[in-house]
Amino acid sequence: MKIQILAFLPELLKHLFRKTATVDYPFQKLVAPEGFRGTPVLYPEKCIVCKACVRDCPAEAIEIVPVSETEKKFKMTIHNDRCVHCAQCVDSCPTDAMGMNKEFELAAFDRHNLKIDYVYVKSTPVPRTPIATNTPKTEN
Amino acid sequence: MEEFTVPIGPQHPALKEPISLRMTFDGEVVKHVDVRLGYNHRGMEKMAEERSYIQNLYLTERICGICSHSHTTCFAQGVEKLMEIEPPKRGLYIRTLVAEIERVHSHLLWLGVAGHEAGFDTFFMYTWRDREIVMDILESISGNRVHYAINTFGGVRRDISETQKQTILDSLSLLKQRTDYYANIGTTEPTFVARIKGVGKLSKELALSLCAVGPTVRASGIKSDVRKDDPYAVYNELPFEVCTADTGDVLGRVVVRVNELFECYKMIEFMLKNLPAGDIAVKAPRRVKENEVVSRYEAPRGENLHYIKSNGTDKPERLKVRAPTLANYPATVEMLKGCFIADIPLIFAAIDPCICCAERMVELVNDKNGEANIVSFSDLKKLASEQYKKCGNKPEPVSIAKQLEKIRRKS
Repeated sequence: MKIQILAFLPELLKHLFRKTATVDYPFQKLVAPEGFRGTPVLYPEKCIVCKACVRDCPAEAIEIVPVSETEKKFKMTIHNDRCVHCAQCVDSCPTDAMGMNKEFELAAFDRHNLKIDYVYVKSTPVPRTPIATNTPKTEN
Repeated sequence: MEEFTVPIGPQHPALKEPISLRMTFDGEVVKHVDVRLGYNHRGMEKMAEERSYIQNLYLTERICGICSHSHTTCFAQGVEKLMEIEPPKRGLYIRTLVAEIERVHSHLLWLGVAGHEAGFDTFFMYTWRDREIVMDILESISGNRVHYAINTFGGVRRDISETQKQTILDSLSLLKQRTDYYANIGTTEPTFVARIKGVGKLSKELALSLCAVGPTVRASGIKSDVRKDDPYAVYNELPFEVCTADTGDVLGRVVVRVNELFECYKMIEFMLKNLPAGDIAVKAPRRVKENEVVSRYEAPRGENLHYIKSNGTDKPERLKVRAPTLANYPATVEMLKGCFIADIPLIFAAIDPCICCAERMVELVNDKNGEANIVSFSDLKKLASEQYKKCGNKPEPVSIAKQLEKIRRKS
């Protein structure tokens, strides 16, 4: 093994004239890539209240409670303080009513402020049209 | 000179995670090391018993932040065996691709840490800057930098597009160029080499007898790699060599990891160019019939082991995780003996310790009535010495529960 004196020096000098590698964060932001798993969102018009997301969520961050049985009204609460952003709810949903947006700046002073409530009327289940993607769905 | 004992940790600036090392010194030289664990126990194995398989997939991912894919793949492989399903080829290729990209990121991270512990912070800054390229690749493939969540039972969750393939190949050429440079620096820069050469020696015989794993054992000249010895996923189709070094010191561990980086690039390129067409996943059942399985996986730090027992429901009966760091502790104790105080952080960092992965407990189960006892290390030691005193050199089966009761009553 040969030992090289000052092997590091050329690289060091080169770096004197290079742009900084970091980003000036709060003032300058990087763009999240396509398919980034940010915050879960519900599209209430598609939800059939099958609770597949509630059952599969590893962080128990989704809660669905009935508001009015006669009107078939339900309330879904997404606890973003517990969410681990795995997007399993998106995979489990049989009607594609769950999605992920690109929001990642979720800091808050109170964890209860991170809750998101959706109050909606249960939609009637329609047979799912076969989609070209191979996203696996878990069995009900 | 009189010997004295110094506790290093559980909270110590040299350690990033809580572990207690009680060291006995003779002057500057370490004479004896006592590793004490249990400061970071999170009860994950118990938690796993109360969750369904699909939930556990994300729980096992969170055993470790650096080798997150290793734990899910190990778990998913085991559960797939229990479910008797075979993931399609394309799914396995993507799974292995993420695994190798993760290895690149882990090794680059370790190189930086080694530089930092050796007092070579410029090296640390450079490697970590270039590690960002790998993190960006992982983020673009899976949607997250750290917890990729690409695995599911029966395959993977996301496909790779042609444009993604191209960007990965482009980034790889840049990474190769940088790694060439690090290989050159890591083995020829005189100050760095002088700092790490001959430090933390581990002979071939000791490494073998103490069951060290991963780059630690390979740096002692033993060709031990689960990917070659017991190929899983698609490793029997990939072109790669097991990298070894024969010096058995920290320099050897640097050499092994840098060479492994080149092997990773070779594999990633091969996988991207030969990605088979087809489905990425098959449907998996929710319930798993009664059975048990041991799944092995070569994580960046060494052999990872998951034992899964199913009971016919959708929740596992038992999950046992043996992280690579735990297997490397006995070897670390031997490496630390005879070294100087200033070498402790360097030697300890050289096994790439992940303490929160390794924290498990010892549980004794009576084979007659299935009664379980959680035993502290000191109790176990007392038990062992008492049992041997009783039966001379020939150990005889004695009721463990009774003995423990006796010890507890005494203390």
